[in-house]
Amino acid sequence: MRTRDIYRFNGFRTIALAAASLISATGFFWPFFSSENKSSFFFWLATPLALILLLALIGQANLDAKSLALLAVLSAIIAALRPLGAGAAGIEPMWFLLILSSFVFGSSFGFLLGVQSMLLSAFLTGGFGPWLPYQIFAAGWIGLLAGAIPKVKRYQIPVIAISSLVLAEIFGILMDLQFWPWAFGPKTQLSYLPGAAIAENFDRFFAYHVATSMAWNVPRAIFTALLIVAVGPGVMKALQRTARKAAFASEIKFN
Amino acid sequence: MRLQNNWLTVAVIALTTLIVTKYKSDGPWADSYKWALKLAALVIGIRVLIGVIIGVPVPGTELFNLPLIPLPHWMAGITLGGAVTWERISSTVIESFGIASIIALFGAATALTNPRALLRAVPPMFYEVAMVLVIATTLTPQLVSNLKRIRVAQKLRGINTNRFLSWRQIAMPLLEDSLARALDLAAAMDSRGYGVSRKRSKYRPHKFQIKDAVVIASSLAFLAVSI
Amino acid sequence: MIKFQNVSLIYPTAQKTILDKLNFEIGEGEFVLLIGETGIGKSSVLRLINGLVPHHTGGILAGSVEVGGISTRTVRPGQLAELIGIVGQNPINGFVTDVVEDELAYSMESLNLPEDTMRKRIEEVLDLLSLNQIRNRKIATLSGGEQQRVAIAAAMVLHPKILVLDEPTSALDPVAAEEVLAILQRLVHDLGITVIIAEHRLERVIGYVDSVIEISADGNTRIGKPEEILKDSKIAPPIVKLARALKLPEISLSVRDLRKQTEPIRTSGKDVSPTQETLGRNVIQTKDLSVKYENKTALKPISLEIKSGEIVALMGRNGAGKSSLIKALLDVVKYEGTITKPSVKIGYIPQDANDLLFHQSVEAECAQTDRDNSLAPGTTAALLHELAATVKIASHPRDLSEGQRLALVLAIVLAPKPDLLILDEPTRGLDYESKTLLTRFLTDRAESGAAVLIATHDVELVAELATRIIILAEGELVADGSTMDVLLASPSFAPQVTKVMSPRKWLTIADVLKAIE
Repeated sequence: MRTRDIYRFNGFRTIALAAASLISATGFFWPFFSSENKSSFFFWLATPLALILLLALIGQANLDAKSLALLAVLSAIIAALRPLGAGAAGIEPMWFLLILSSFVFGSSFGFLLGVQSMLLSAFLTGGFGPWLPYQIFAAGWIGLLAGAIPKVKRYQIPVIAISSLVLAEIFGILMDLQFWPWAFGPKTQLSYLPGAAIAENFDRFFAYHVATSMAWNVPRAIFTALLIVAVGPGVMKALQRTARKAAFASEIKFN
Repeated sequence: MRLQNNWLTVAVIALTTLIVTKYKSDGPWADSYKWALKLAALVIGIRVLIGVIIGVPVPGTELFNLPLIPLPHWMAGITLGGAVTWERISSTVIESFGIASIIALFGAATALTNPRALLRAVPPMFYEVAMVLVIATTLTPQLVSNLKRIRVAQKLRGINTNRFLSWRQIAMPLLEDSLARALDLAAAMDSRGYGVSRKRSKYRPHKFQIKDAVVIASSLAFLAVSI
Repeated sequence: MIKFQNVSLIYPTAQKTILDKLNFEIGEGEFVLLIGETGIGKSSVLRLINGLVPHHTGGILAGSVEVGGISTRTVRPGQLAELIGIVGQNPINGFVTDVVEDELAYSMESLNLPEDTMRKRIEEVLDLLSLNQIRNRKIATLSGGEQQRVAIAAAMVLHPKILVLDEPTSALDPVAAEEVLAILQRLVHDLGITVIIAEHRLERVIGYVDSVIEISADGNTRIGKPEEILKDSKIAPPIVKLARALKLPEISLSVRDLRKQTEPIRTSGKDVSPTQETLGRNVIQTKDLSVKYENKTALKPISLEIKSGEIVALMGRNGAGKSSLIKALLDVVKYEGTITKPSVKIGYIPQDANDLLFHQSVEAECAQTDRDNSLAPGTTAALLHELAATVKIASHPRDLSEGQRLALVLAIVLAPKPDLLILDEPTRGLDYESKTLLTRFLTDRAESGAAVLIATHDVELVAELATRIIILAEGELVADGSTMDVLLASPSFAPQVTKVMSPRKWLTIADVLKAIE
């Protein structure tokens, strides 16, 4: 007999979440595939609806108390870290903790942590807006991916730091995708062209992305990687120690 | 049809402003509408700026001329600048009404809601998500007071000339303390019966009032119109 | 009601057994006290009662634990929530919501109790624990005593038959501690609840309990009436130690009983003159120091001075201004008036010692201190070894016991030899042995020229340690004089020895022994 393990998605939930993520993804990527002249109702609603589905799936996930408490505490810290740096050019201290927590506690936990952190951040500031479902999914996916960072015997911190560069870039791409139809009206040179070939739209998106990268994505990636190198070892040890003390999947025996 | 739609949007925003001013909740979200309006204006501003710099030329009354700067081929070969016409600016502004109004409506809905009441009214479907939010919002003020306390202690332990390291001196105890609390909390929750019963009752069930129905129905209607 | 049979426990990550063949039985409606040195497993015993060990923490359990006829092998802790209520060491860590009434409701919501039952029970419990006035308050704004009561209420709302509390009074000032203990006694006597508490500071508690369970270092447990167990237990309150020191035939637990036995000593003993300390220069001096926050004055103008060689105890109710005074002296809060501290090095030990630590090992903490203060490498570690030889330097600071952690923090703060040492409630959660160590150490330091200011509620500590006492009330200085004078002047501040020996002017057991030489 063992104590409950940290929260992990089981088979059914994994499929359902993958489905929700896929639906949400169409909300991000539709400019490449849509051929409507005016953006379809469906694509605008895809991500918000997927969010509701997601919240319902994780709202009744039968979380154990330890995972719940850790989620609450870590999401509180991450949400508190988020506004630090005041949105200045990519200085976002929240990612390094999300990535490290995910690494230590696993992908499923990381996904939940990303979702809850964004939700909590909006909740604490009252900052609800049409961007929220996108941010929630994006943060969730980053948490999910961070759990998959390879565990190596040596140079663990550099591995995580390099992975974080990739993850920060992914987040940057997702955010740019989200902004793309909004920030640009239908009549600029960088707007998406409904019905155009994927290559054409991709070119335009790429140019737009490079421009924003200078201002946001590259600094975010570098800052996150730096934080991981600088405070990562200590933070990771603290998280690992907590994982041990929590006695997940710990032996229970009666003689 | 387009023009009527835009005036409708403006009317919607005006009406929303009236409703929010009258029914504003007194919780921490009361200022959300104000901020949303500012953000909406900012979005329109950004769009205008982008439209001016890389917009497709729209013929009309020329206001001023920006120098043409063609960008290299790998940057999609766009050209910055060009003639800036009144039509270009005004059409950008009008096109942005939709987005602006959506942002404003979200802000309005938030301003009318009290976060505490919202958490109580969350349907059981979302229970665990709300639970994490409840605990996290309980913990956040404690985090702040802990931070202050730790700062005092560390400051007096020994002044560290390295400013970055002094962040670490404050952040690490805070993190360790918070993680230890999480485990205490988990033990307390398990002791009090968390997870034993799949169903939960509500002490103060949120009685759906007419007001809530009106708010929800009207915001949905406005959203549909704006899109 | 509660039956432990041959209980042995080992945690999965540990090498040695925490408990070894524990045997005891607690009947219904008893008020039981669990005593033992820190780290001996008191918390584990308490958690065994409701099944947190091993279902929540993991572990290998031999023997059987039966509560109300149910074996904890077969049920999860949550399923026992309506039978056993448990309140941990830091009640605020166990709260889920931030408003009192919501917190009380939470326990019942989790168990899916119907709405009208919840309403009824909340009203009952609010009355039972006198919480009605604060039912809508935010828990974070409540005092320690009020928070403790809310935690008890949140457990009582499920109508448990057993209530288990881990050090319920250690963080409370004497008044709040009395309130909580009186409530617990009422629960036992009026409602027939079985209450089990673990405590270090026995002098406050011993008068209330029916039986004592002692867990000793060699793994033996004894259970019996307080008089039996305390006759020769390692841990004992001053009143018992006094009886032992005087070699009386019987020990008593109440001041009144001991007074009867010690009458001859009171009449014949000599007077004990207080030791003259050599005081040095002014280490810190304030003139008309006052501290104001937005809407209230926390500290009214105060002028005082502390000289090197003094050990000053700062006493007073919570909210009397002690922490404001300390913050002003430390220069972390805005104050009016003047503070003169001629190039004085100040060392500060906060209430929560963990605030000072940020490395992953004791060794690193010591090295950091050496670096920060330009000391020879190894200085701090050597000091630590002097204070507590049992601390392994590779251990994580948060894994240390209370006494060891205090030793580490003392080493860190004292290595640079500060002129003034300020401590804020250092004796929370400390057993008598650690307190003795602290007393001895601080006395040494004072003799070599440091000044010490210690904010505390612990009257027994003050009697042993302090040379001078300052009492604050409502932001004002109410008393400032030698320990002897101040403690003897007010009955509520008197240590147990003084209460027994009044009107003779003896503060500690040592004084009494000297008097009868």
